[in-house]
Amino acid sequence: MTDLPLAGIRVLDFTWAWAGPFCTMQLAHLGAEVIRVETTARPACVTRLIPPFADDAPGPNRAGYFNQYNQGKKAITLNLTKPEAIEIALALAKHADIVTDNYAAGVMDKLGLGYDKLRTVKPDIIMISMSGYGQTGPYKGFVGYGPPASAACGMFFGTGYEGGDPGEIGVSYPDPNAGIFGAFAIMAALTHRALTGEGQYIDQSQLETALVLMPEGLLQYDIAKHEPERHGNHDPVMAPHDCYKAAGDDEKWVSIAVGTEDEWRSLCGAIGQPQLADDSRFKTQALRKQNEAALDKIITEWTTARDRWESTRILQAAGVAAFPSMGNKDLAEDAHLAERGYLVQLEHPEVGKRIHAGIPWTMSGTPVSVRKPAPIRGADTEEVLKSLLGFTSDRVEQLRKSEVLI
Amino acid sequence: MTVENKAKSPFSAIKVVECGEGISAAFGTKMLADLGAEVIKVEPPAGDLARRRGPFPEDQADPEKSGIFIYLNTNKRGVVADLTRPEGRELLAKLLADADILIHNVPPPDRAASGLDSAALTAAYPKLIVTSISMFGDTGPYANWNGYELTAVNAGGWAYLSPGASPYPEQPPLKCFGSQGDFQGGVHAAMVTMAAYFNRLKTGKGQAIDVSEQECIAAMLEMNLMHWTYAHRETSRLGSRLLGPWFIGDCADGKIFALAVEEEQWKRLVELMGNPEWASEDLFKDRISRGQNQDALKALMGEWLSQWKVQDLYRAAQKARVPFAPVNTMADLYASDHLAERDFFVPIEQPGVGSVRLPGMPSKYARTQWSIRRPAPHLGEHSEEVFCGEYGVARDRLSELHKAGVA
Repeated sequence: MTDLPLAGIRVLDFTWAWAGPFCTMQLAHLGAEVIRVETTARPACVTRLIPPFADDAPGPNRAGYFNQYNQGKKAITLNLTKPEAIEIALALAKHADIVTDNYAAGVMDKLGLGYDKLRTVKPDIIMISMSGYGQTGPYKGFVGYGPPASAACGMFFGTGYEGGDPGEIGVSYPDPNAGIFGAFAIMAALTHRALTGEGQYIDQSQLETALVLMPEGLLQYDIAKHEPERHGNHDPVMAPHDCYKAAGDDEKWVSIAVGTEDEWRSLCGAIGQPQLADDSRFKTQALRKQNEAALDKIITEWTTARDRWESTRILQAAGVAAFPSMGNKDLAEDAHLAERGYLVQLEHPEVGKRIHAGIPWTMSGTPVSVRKPAPIRGADTEEVLKSLLGFTSDRVEQLRKSEVLI
Repeated sequence: MTVENKAKSPFSAIKVVECGEGISAAFGTKMLADLGAEVIKVEPPAGDLARRRGPFPEDQADPEKSGIFIYLNTNKRGVVADLTRPEGRELLAKLLADADILIHNVPPPDRAASGLDSAALTAAYPKLIVTSISMFGDTGPYANWNGYELTAVNAGGWAYLSPGASPYPEQPPLKCFGSQGDFQGGVHAAMVTMAAYFNRLKTGKGQAIDVSEQECIAAMLEMNLMHWTYAHRETSRLGSRLLGPWFIGDCADGKIFALAVEEEQWKRLVELMGNPEWASEDLFKDRISRGQNQDALKALMGEWLSQWKVQDLYRAAQKARVPFAPVNTMADLYASDHLAERDFFVPIEQPGVGSVRLPGMPSKYARTQWSIRRPAPHLGEHSEEVFCGEYGVARDRLSELHKAGVA
């Protein structure tokens, strides 16, 4: 562990829900000691309370949502409505390199844990606040979640079936996206501190981290002067480019995308229709795009006659980008993901061994891994307060009784 | 263009080489360039694919005017080298000799022929951080398979869930707008590369990083995987919402996303609607019931929604701490007073194109400078400046290579 990139870096983590914990999980993967601060005094820790629970038996340590996004962290309970808890939080911040939160703008200041206060106890502290709309501007106090952020950033407007209304996008994507941008910002700030000695505050808006992923739409408006149109899975340039129905029940689909002339010729050969390559309707990419409906019909006839994996293997063997549209069971059982070590199963004290999503990258020199499962609520309270602040068992017990450590 | 601060960025000493086609590698190096790193982008003689994918001014394709290329490649200097030929790989070797970081998205089966094999590079340049982004990663049974954006969002499991609660089972899984799989490959690569650089400050050692787009997407799907591994339930784009209200509704002048997550938010919404009688019916007694009976709820809320203008309702709902949001168009975003006050859009002058307003800073740092300092390069714009001026290639040699189609 000492050879990991963030060995010796301590994170005091006030985040909740999804965006923030997704951010600090990256830091835990990289070797940081992440101390997750929770409380049972109010229902802030929503992800412990949302199904799915292991085997449908509810319990704060049985929620898949919490257990997925808090892998590798420590957990302490601290009731931030009590002044003594704020004192303890400040004392812990003195031992921290990084403080994270994703409350609405201004909440940390009100708690007495804002950046200006934290830097009085740790001058080179790095703090990141990941709010919905940022700490400044007319919407700074607005309530933000991932799904409305998807609407606000224009993703709903650009997504949808051909000729249809704006569509939703299926997942609360701006949340983990804010988390991964937050992890980058923290890595940049740590590097900045290593090079200059300076800590700093980072104000991150979920809306803005989503907007930087919308250049195709935004710049179309800015330089081509029109709004994006909705075309389902079709591409402005490539064809064929869609999810095609496969044999079997209604819920099996295979995606196929052709981007080059070589791939087009290979596809024609692979589906047993080499003459299509010279068909006047499909001779160039522009013609294929123009005659996309006829092309999609031909491909659908082929895909509906076979299993989605058979189509995938035939087309990939010919160098064509094809892949099944993967469901959650498909992902959990995928041989490739298992062989790469991406699917992680660690023994958790309450839910046993369950497959979780692991780390989507590898590092040859500093081998990262998911080092432990998500923590049981409050599992590390005593250890953290004793080792960092020198508390005795009696003092911890007393603070539990006075509802400071709940 | 933002004015460069007088103080030099501590990141300006970081030298980055990019061999990127399209979005993923180019976005990863953009994130470093925007903080001050020196990025040299190596393009093939035909130019980066992104040059051929718009949006373009007046929708007229022109490799020097692609909006996506401009967005991804400001702050970089551009050179040309054909890495499939030995003379091109010699040029790359000169750049790598004093580089700190290489980020590329050349697919695994093409790497050896382009001189981009990770193990060979880290052996030749022990201090270099080599980050490769690919569809399925460098190892495993699918490592050599082909893939595009559409592949990433299907292989990662996102499309299968989208659009969500769909009433159209005959319609296929749906890709989200844009290039999210490729962008995530880039953001993850930038984050891990920065971690490796931070590590190198301590150890002096480089290393190889392998980023899989399929895995990046699979990691971002909320509770999707756990529905199976915790509760043995398969998920899909069909079905009903877990809670409600959660729908896109019609206002007088556009669409709004109507959402109430917590019971307190629902109560405040009911108040805002003027306490209609139907709101107290059993069908809507808690958020789960409101999710199950969403069609009825949507119909009942419809008339009220239609009396509002989108922006007025957005503000009124937020004032009541109800998390509605407009289904913004691109025009709405460029006109946003909030984004204007936060200086989000960054105007630049791109030669040949004119003024372009780029999406700006994803995170606002109090100390680290984020800036756009130069426009995107024309194809080969800096070949001579870089290769001859800084890496000792004779001008005659470069023009020979140019004639031979290598540079």
